[in-house]
Amino acid sequence: MHVIKVENLSKSYEYYKKQSGLKASIRALFRRKKMYAKAIEKICFNIDEGELVGFLGPNGAGKTTTLKILSGILHPTNGKAEVLGYKPWERQKEYQKQFALVMGQKNQLWPDLPAMDSFVLNKEIYGLSDKEFKKNLDELANVLNIKDILNTQVRKLSLGQKMKCELAVALLHKPKVLFLDEPTIGLDVVAQKNIRDFIKEYNRERKTTVVLTSHYMEDISQLCKRIIIVNLGKILYDGQLDGLIKKYAPYKLLNITFNNSGVKRYEIEKYGLIHKFNQFNVTFKIDRAKIKETAIAVLSSDLPVDDILIDEADIDDVIRKIFSSNKID
Amino acid sequence: MEPTDRFIFMKKYLTLINTTWQRALTYRFTVFAYRIGEMLEIIVLIFMWSAIYSDQQLIKGYTLQEMITYILIGNLINVAVRNWLSESVSRDIKNGTLSTFLTKPIEYINYMFFREVGRISVAFIMSIISQMIIILFFLDKIILRFDFLCLLLIMAMIILAFITEWLISYLIGLIAFWTDEVDGIQATASRLRKFFAGGYFPLSLLPTVFVNISFALPFAYSFFVPTQLYLGKIDLATGVKGIAIQIIWIFLLLLIVKTVWKKGLKKYEGVGI
Ligand SMILES: Nc1ncnc2c1ncn2[C@@H]1O[C@H](COP(=O)(O)OP(=O)(O)O)[C@@H](O)[C@H]1O
Ligand SMILES: [Mg+2]
Repeated sequence: MHVIKVENLSKSYEYYKKQSGLKASIRALFRRKKMYAKAIEKICFNIDEGELVGFLGPNGAGKTTTLKILSGILHPTNGKAEVLGYKPWERQKEYQKQFALVMGQKNQLWPDLPAMDSFVLNKEIYGLSDKEFKKNLDELANVLNIKDILNTQVRKLSLGQKMKCELAVALLHKPKVLFLDEPTIGLDVVAQKNIRDFIKEYNRERKTTVVLTSHYMEDISQLCKRIIIVNLGKILYDGQLDGLIKKYAPYKLLNITFNNSGVKRYEIEKYGLIHKFNQFNVTFKIDRAKIKETAIAVLSSDLPVDDILIDEADIDDVIRKIFSSNKID
Repeated sequence: MEPTDRFIFMKKYLTLINTTWQRALTYRFTVFAYRIGEMLEIIVLIFMWSAIYSDQQLIKGYTLQEMITYILIGNLINVAVRNWLSESVSRDIKNGTLSTFLTKPIEYINYMFFREVGRISVAFIMSIISQMIIILFFLDKIILRFDFLCLLLIMAMIILAFITEWLISYLIGLIAFWTDEVDGIQATASRLRKFFAGGYFPLSLLPTVFVNISFALPFAYSFFVPTQLYLGKIDLATGVKGIAIQIIWIFLLLLIVKTVWKKGLKKYEGVGI
C-alpha cells in the first residue's frame, strides 16, 4: 500500500519585487508587482509503508517545499498529494496525530527551558496517557542516550544533543510517517553518524515510513536504498542507489598500480580514457562492457603491472555530474 | 464536547500555563526590572500632579486625591488586562515558528491564549505586589471604597477587558502576515491604545465629545471606565451599559480575528514566509 502518493505536484511561491529608491518604495506601498517563483514542478512519486527514502538535491532544489506540502504547512499550487489517505493541507487532527516533521534548521524545543518541558507539552498536545508517555520517553531517551540532559536548559546543549532531543520530541507520539528536513545540517561528523544510525535503526525496527532530505550525499547513501534526486524543482532520478550509478555512470574505474620505474602517459593512452594519472598509478574510465577485455589487455602487455582494481564510479562524482549537466535552464 | 474531552482539553492547556510560568520565572530578573521601572514612572507621575495641584483645588472636577487614586487604581487594573501577545504572534509568523503549530493537533489561537495567560499571571502577581507597595506608601493620599456591587461590576469589566485587549493584540500581531516592519506599527499602536484607554491622564480632561466616543470604543474599559466606576464618577447603570458595549466588541473582534487569520494564513501558505 502506498502511504504517500504525490501526483503532478507543483508549487509556486508568490513574492513581490523589491524596488530600490525612495520613489519606487513609496509607489510599492500602493501597487506592488506580484512575482512567482517556481519551487517544484509536476513532481510524481509514491512511497510505501516502512520505506526510508532519501531526497537529495542542492540548495534551492525544492526539498523543503515538498516536505512542507506533505506536512500541511503549504498549499500546493497544482497537483495532488495524499499521506495516509489524507490531504495534508486540510490539517485534520487525525492526520496530524500520525506524522511528525523535524526541520534541522528550525527547533521546536523551547530554548530557555529544559527539553523535558517540551516533552510534557507535546504529551498534552498529542493527548498521550501517562503510561504511554513514560514508556515512549524512556525508550527514546535510552536509544538516543539523552537521559542525563533532559533537565538541562536547551540553549546549553550542543547541536548534536539538541537534534537528538528534537527527534525524541517528534517521535513521542509514535508517528507512522516521519519527515526529516536536513536533520544532520551543521552537525559534526560524530553527531551526524549518531543521528544517521538512529534513524536507520528506528526505521528498521518500527517500520515507520521516513522521508529524509539532504544535500549531503553521505546521508543518503548510508541510509536509504531508494533515492529521489531533485534539482530545480524536478525529479531527475527515482530508484535504487545502485541503479543510479548504472544509469548515470555507464563506465567503471580501472585502477592499475605499476612498479619499477612506472609508465609514461603515451605508453598507456591506447587502453582507454585516462581519469587520473601518475607514473605509478593510473585510473581509466572504461565502458562497462569493455572493462574485462581492457583489464586482460593491460595484464598481458609488457607494462610493469603490480596490481589491478576494478571499481564502481564514485557516487559523488556521479551526482555532481547529474547536477551540472542539468544546470542549463 | 464530551466531559472527558473537556478534561483533556483543559489539561492540555494547564500544562501550557505551567510551562509558561516556568519560562517567565527563569526571567524573573527581567520581570523584576520592569516592575521597578513602572513603579518609578508612577511615583514621578504622582509628584508631577502634586506640583500641578499646589495652586488649585480642582482640575476638571478632579481633586488631587482623586487624581492619585486614578493613577494607582487605574494602573493596577491595567496590568491585569494587558498582554505581550502582538510581539509573540508576529515573531512566530516572521520566523516561521507558526509552521510547527500548523502541523500539530492544536489550534494556534488556543495555544497562544493559554501561553499568555500563564505569562500574565506572573506579571500580574509581581505587579500587584509592586502596586501594593506604592499604594501602602500613598495610603493616606488615596480614596478607599468598598462598595460590593461596584467592585463586582469592576471585576466583570476587567475580565471582559482582558479578553478585548487580548483580541486586539492578537489582531495587531497578525499584521506580520503582510509586512516585515511590525515593530513600528506595534509601538505606535500601543501608545494609541494607552492614550485612548486614559492611561496617560483621565479622558475627562479632554472635551466631552471625546469622552463619549471613547465610551463606544473598546480601549477605555481597560483603564478609564473601571477607574471612574471606582471613584463613583459614573453610576452603576452606565457601568452595566459599558459591559454590554464590551460584549459587542468581543464578538466583533472575534469575527475580525477569524477573517484576518484566514486571509493571513492563505497568504502564508502562498508566500511560504
Ligand atoms: N518564501 C519563499 N518565497 C519565494 N521563493 C521561495 C520561498 N521559499 C523558497 N523559495 C524558492 O523555492 C525554491 C525551492 O526552495 P526550497 O524548497 O527551500 O529548496 P531546498 O529545501 O531544496 O533547499 C528555491 O529556488 C527558493 O529560492
Ligand atoms: Mg531546504
